[in-house]
Amino acid sequence: MRLLTHNMLSCNVKGVTNGFPLIIQADKVLEKPAELNHDFLRNMFYKVDWKALVDAAKSMGYSELPESAEASMLESLDFLNRFHHALMELHLEEGALICPETGRKFPVDKGIPNMLLHEDEV
Amino acid sequence: MTSLTLIATNPIRDSSLLDVEDRDIVRGQEENKQAFLSSWFKKAGRKINPSFTSYPSQLMLVNFLRVKRIFVHGKESFPSSLIYRSFHLRLFSSMKKDIQGNVLYGLRTSESVAEHEEEKCSTANAQSTPEIEKKYVHRVYDAIAPHFSSTRFAKWPKVAAFLGSLPLGSLVLDAGCGNGKYLGLNPDCYFIGCDISAPLIKICSDREHEVLVADAVNLPYRTGFGDAAISIAVLHHLSTESRRKKAIQELVRVVKVGGLVLITVWAAEQEDKTLVTKWTPLADKYAEEWVGPSSPRARSSPSLTLESIPEAEDKGFKEKEINLPEDSKVLPEMSPSRQREINIDNQQEYFVPWHLPYHRAEVGGASAYAVESGLAKKDDKKGAVVYNRYYHVFCEGELERLVSGMNNVTVVDRFFDKSNWCIVIEKSC
Repeated sequence: MRLLTHNMLSCNVKGVTNGFPLIIQADKVLEKPAELNHDFLRNMFYKVDWKALVDAAKSMGYSELPESAEASMLESLDFLNRFHHALMELHLEEGALICPETGRKFPVDKGIPNMLLHEDEV
Repeated sequence: MTSLTLIATNPIRDSSLLDVEDRDIVRGQEENKQAFLSSWFKKAGRKINPSFTSYPSQLMLVNFLRVKRIFVHGKESFPSSLIYRSFHLRLFSSMKKDIQGNVLYGLRTSESVAEHEEEKCSTANAQSTPEIEKKYVHRVYDAIAPHFSSTRFAKWPKVAAFLGSLPLGSLVLDAGCGNGKYLGLNPDCYFIGCDISAPLIKICSDREHEVLVADAVNLPYRTGFGDAAISIAVLHHLSTESRRKKAIQELVRVVKVGGLVLITVWAAEQEDKTLVTKWTPLADKYAEEWVGPSSPRARSSPSLTLESIPEAEDKGFKEKEINLPEDSKVLPEMSPSRQREINIDNQQEYFVPWHLPYHRAEVGGASAYAVESGLAKKDDKKGAVVYNRYYHVFCEGELERLVSGMNNVTVVDRFFDKSNWCIVIEKSC
């Protein structure tokens, strides 16, 4: 699971209002290189919750993102590379995503999060 | 008991199949027959004036008594499935109520089934998975995943065109992505796929796609994050209208304002009509009544639904007017294939078989277990385990109807392609 995906996931258990961002329990992290796509990164920059991305990256062992960011930084290749690395090249292989409101754990197994709810949670 | 034995064609011969006291009515006096039927029709709130000197009306009486016999002796669920499609619905339902003192469970027109479903679902939760989907969608796809995936490689041009039309760098969400056939189809876009089947998602993941296991009726995505979404051949596996609506609402929710959603579903109007004959129509959606492939309904073919009682003499039928309950239809011709067509015209619920070859039936004996528990059956002639997948096929305009109530949706395109109904909608606000 990439942090791009993490940035859009939210706990959808019934009644939960603050299900984002999910807290990462990183048991196993991999780094896989990916091709940098400027258009895509620009598009994603306006979508992502920056603070959630920074915190998630830290929990995956990457602290090179600036604490805050603005669109002008997209001009900087250095910034783009860091952004790209955090967003697209860090993979959570094993661990869990934890709802900040309820503590509910969504397991991540072989890189795949399982977001299915139990009967009593819908 | 099949419909062939149920539908009497010879009043004298077939009356031998009736209960003794009923035989006497058939062979007895005109006034008695009249009185007998009148009382039943009256209970159903209907007038009757057939003349029992005529052959067709004799047949009607015998058939009527056959049905009565089922209610008296038969199992609760069996008559429901046969009577459901009957053109004498109101009459038989009244009879059943009278004989068995039961509420009209199962004896409904298709409109009231839908209403009842809605009622059930607004109290039950649209997000809670019904049994029929657990058994005949989820478990089946889990069991057939690798084989299914190996047959799913052709990229549908219409989907490719939709994806190709998206702006560079778009984030596309594929809800119900299956084996990930469309993930990455446009290399300038980024795809995130989800499916309820973990085995299918594993196949996607092995192909290096970004995927997760999730329920299309309750997507775990933040609102407005995606640029576009696709739902290719997914909604027809949802067994209630409110779930289908919810899934569409979810697709719209997760895309940005101005974002597009492409939805495709199997059409009731199949181009290859021979294909439909391989499907099993479901007379009654209620999974609670379904007892497994050994039940009569599982073995049913289109001809098992109760054919309308013939009004005329012979194979060369002519239309004959009699005063029937107003929800019944007088059909000009009663050949079985015509009847099947009529039944199929209203039929949208089906089991569609999947043949999993023995050599593909996996390790761990999941298929053996499926056969034992009645979820699947073995076909030695074809060398395959046969699973049934539940489908609600869509009729023309149904997708439009589902979105018509959504005030933040505009229909941008609609088309019929390769026996699928397709729609492109835009999130307007």
